[in-house]
Amino acid sequence: MFDDILDNYLRFLESLTVEHFIRLFWFYIFFEFLRYFILEFAVLNLWKLSKFFNRGKYEKAKKDFWFEYPLISIIIPGKNEGKHLYKLIRSLNEQTYRNLEIIVVDDGSDDDTEIIGRDLEKAGLIDHFIRNEVRGGKASGANTALRFTKGKYIVHLDADCSYDRDAMEKIIIPFYMDKDVAGVGGNVMVRNYKESLVTSLQAIEYYDTISIGRVVTSYLGIYRIISGAFGAFRADALEQVKGWDIGPGLDGDITVKLRKLGYKIKFEQEAVCLTSVPNTVKKLTKQRLRWDKSLIRFRVRKHKDVLIPNQAFSFLNFFAFLENITYNLILNFKWYIYLIDMMANYPSQLINIIITNILLYTFTNFMKFVVYSLYRARTNASYTYFLIYIPCMVFYFGYYLRVVRTIAYIQEFFFKRSYKDPWNPEKTSVHAQRMKL
Amino acid sequence: MPELKVNKEESTVEYAGFSFLLLTDLNLDVEKVGFHSAVIIDGHDRSFIRQIVRRIRSHNSPDIYLKPVFILKGINIIDPMVNKLVDGTLFSLEQIELIIPEVERILTKTGELHFTNSLSFEAQMIEKVISYMFTCEIQDLDPIPYIYSANNYYYPILSVNFNHKDEHMALDILEIAEREGVFDSSYVDKVYLCSGCQNGQLSYREVCPKCGSSHSTTEDIIHHFPCAYVGPLSDFTNEIDDQLDCPKCNKRLRHIGVDYDKPSVLHECKACDHKFQDFNVKAKCLACGQDSLVEQLKGREIRKYSLTKKGQIAAINGFVSTSKDIEEIIGTVKFDTFLTMLKYEIERLKQTEGASNICAIHLSNPSQLYSKMGSEVQKVLLKDLVKVIRSNIRTSDIISFQSSSTIVLSMNEIPTRIANKILTEIVEMLKRLIATSFKDISVEFEMEVVKLDYKLSPQLHIQQLTKNFG
Repeated sequence: MFDDILDNYLRFLESLTVEHFIRLFWFYIFFEFLRYFILEFAVLNLWKLSKFFNRGKYEKAKKDFWFEYPLISIIIPGKNEGKHLYKLIRSLNEQTYRNLEIIVVDDGSDDDTEIIGRDLEKAGLIDHFIRNEVRGGKASGANTALRFTKGKYIVHLDADCSYDRDAMEKIIIPFYMDKDVAGVGGNVMVRNYKESLVTSLQAIEYYDTISIGRVVTSYLGIYRIISGAFGAFRADALEQVKGWDIGPGLDGDITVKLRKLGYKIKFEQEAVCLTSVPNTVKKLTKQRLRWDKSLIRFRVRKHKDVLIPNQAFSFLNFFAFLENITYNLILNFKWYIYLIDMMANYPSQLINIIITNILLYTFTNFMKFVVYSLYRARTNASYTYFLIYIPCMVFYFGYYLRVVRTIAYIQEFFFKRSYKDPWNPEKTSVHAQRMKL
Repeated sequence: MPELKVNKEESTVEYAGFSFLLLTDLNLDVEKVGFHSAVIIDGHDRSFIRQIVRRIRSHNSPDIYLKPVFILKGINIIDPMVNKLVDGTLFSLEQIELIIPEVERILTKTGELHFTNSLSFEAQMIEKVISYMFTCEIQDLDPIPYIYSANNYYYPILSVNFNHKDEHMALDILEIAEREGVFDSSYVDKVYLCSGCQNGQLSYREVCPKCGSSHSTTEDIIHHFPCAYVGPLSDFTNEIDDQLDCPKCNKRLRHIGVDYDKPSVLHECKACDHKFQDFNVKAKCLACGQDSLVEQLKGREIRKYSLTKKGQIAAINGFVSTSKDIEEIIGTVKFDTFLTMLKYEIERLKQTEGASNICAIHLSNPSQLYSKMGSEVQKVLLKDLVKVIRSNIRTSDIISFQSSSTIVLSMNEIPTRIANKILTEIVEMLKRLIATSFKDISVEFEMEVVKLDYKLSPQLHIQQLTKNFG
């Protein structure tokens, strides 16, 4: 059986011409390889060059930042996050930059968070512990924290993360390089990469697709999501947009709101944060369904005006949206078109096509992982540890995530399921849906 | 019908063989009280009554502080301290015959008491309280909430002896008395006292956790559900009407719980602009001015004290010392320690065949003895007794006071017959010592020796040892 398949496959390869190859693997060549490797690689080189030429500017910005020594307000909203607080606060107290105020908001926790938070406040390890007796959701927690901030910059953190010693310093410097920058996203890496296969695969995804992807989009000026786990904002800009709107997907939403006001958003690869990612397929699926629904809710619905030429039209915002919608939404469905195309026109070659696709993607993934290592700030693990997991990335990224994304899009597009997500309290989601937010 | 004789010059009233001192002003030589059967205070002024009662009841001499005190009422007496410390009221001197039985009763009861010059101030206070309770036939010492008290609660006959600054000592003394078995107690309340001066008159304030100022404003925080805006109430008010409008999405707030709620409050310090959610609570002492966090205050239990049988006997026979007083005498160990060592000795005897003993020397008439001495002299006497005993026993034997009138000692690894002989010699020496040092005083001693039996507990041995003492 296996010999037959192999034999058949070798014959298929022998008969493959360039035209034939392009016809059979058009999806990989034009969309995946071109966009996610060639284009990315080219932009990475440009970014590296620009970084080299701008190193003087960076040093000046750093000097200006230390000279001004602004107060940075760190806000940590969350529900039932007490167990993570001590580790988080310890990593914050280790920061090279010391002019920080730490504000923890307990969004109606029903565990020991209040006791832990009050203790930390009493011990002087945090500046404020604010408790909302009733849960209001992540956005209201963050907005509550905003009321207590005094800093020139606001850094939003997730409680289950920890931070490099120089992370706060690094994430603020981009504000001093360009006065139009209103938000900077930090580089999130996976702390629990060894926990399971799922976490190892996510670690690779965070290294390549997320981190490198954000370097590229940031350089192109179309960076879309400042991660809630580690994002810095100018306090005055946040005041202008009146803080966060209801989630899920509030990270991307606030980024768009800032961009709409003409601000620039940057990604800082060297500001590193470690987070714990879902360790089972079930938990991961739940998380990704939530993330992917926000593309429809925020980009296609709430902020669709970005795509319409009007007074506030910005080409960069338009391009950022278009790129996002094209590569995540349209291509996701185009992949099914490709699948149907192959099944309809080359049913006898389907197995060979799938095998070739898997080999092509695996080869690309290996190449990306190795080549991109030249462009990463650092990793929190040995590269060699991940090499054996690279072959799984085809199935993880090409099949699993694609299916999850498809389900999420359908659920949100036709059923507006994000408004039913218990991640947000129902009392707020009801209004968000009514107001089409 | 006896005749009522009023001597206005001397301010006295005589009736039925009793002499009453009539007090109308503060120019009182309080020693005069001792020459009369009772005191009648002209109740025209509350402050005056309070001061006079205070001066009589806080006096050191039982001839004065136990004297019956009555109020000749011109005004309503609402002061609870005064009410607890007087024995009755008269509406006019014509009613004096009504108080005669009370005067008689108190004076008779007072006559039954033996007073000792107690060893320490604490013992003196305990004796004073229990003798007063005995003469007034009071079983319980109730704390009363009292506005003039430094501890907020007042034990009239005890607290009256202290000035405002030292009033907390009343609580210490009652604790000692309870340890000595004079009182049983039950919980009534808890008070918090200044950690600096132990005063209970404190001003509690909510203060800014940053600068400690109590000058702040408080606003509700509103969470507007549709747009997740969170801000103080003032963000939502408008200048036109009383409605609330969201500054972020401009929607009108309609219904709490439906489109908005108030999840918390925001306090803003007017002194340092600090915004916070939880105040610190501080207590400012009105006596010394110290400003402390409430966690730093000293919590004291206020208890109701009831006289025990031992307390009643001590009231009649006199209360000489507390165990704290006799523990300070060099050459002795605490009675608890003595019991522990006795326990080990009994355990040791289970393994060996030796003979060990415990002995006791008891002063049969301690109140007669102590009443003729000052507290310092009493301490000297006890020290001398211990010195004599110590010089006649081996260094390995130990001495302890079971009470101020009973000395116990161990005599280990020695036949009981010999122990008896040694003890008899010691008692003779003690008698000679007292005869030479305190010539006017006759002292009687009792003694007992008990051979240790490893089958019996230390407590049973002690019972056996002291059961014959009066």
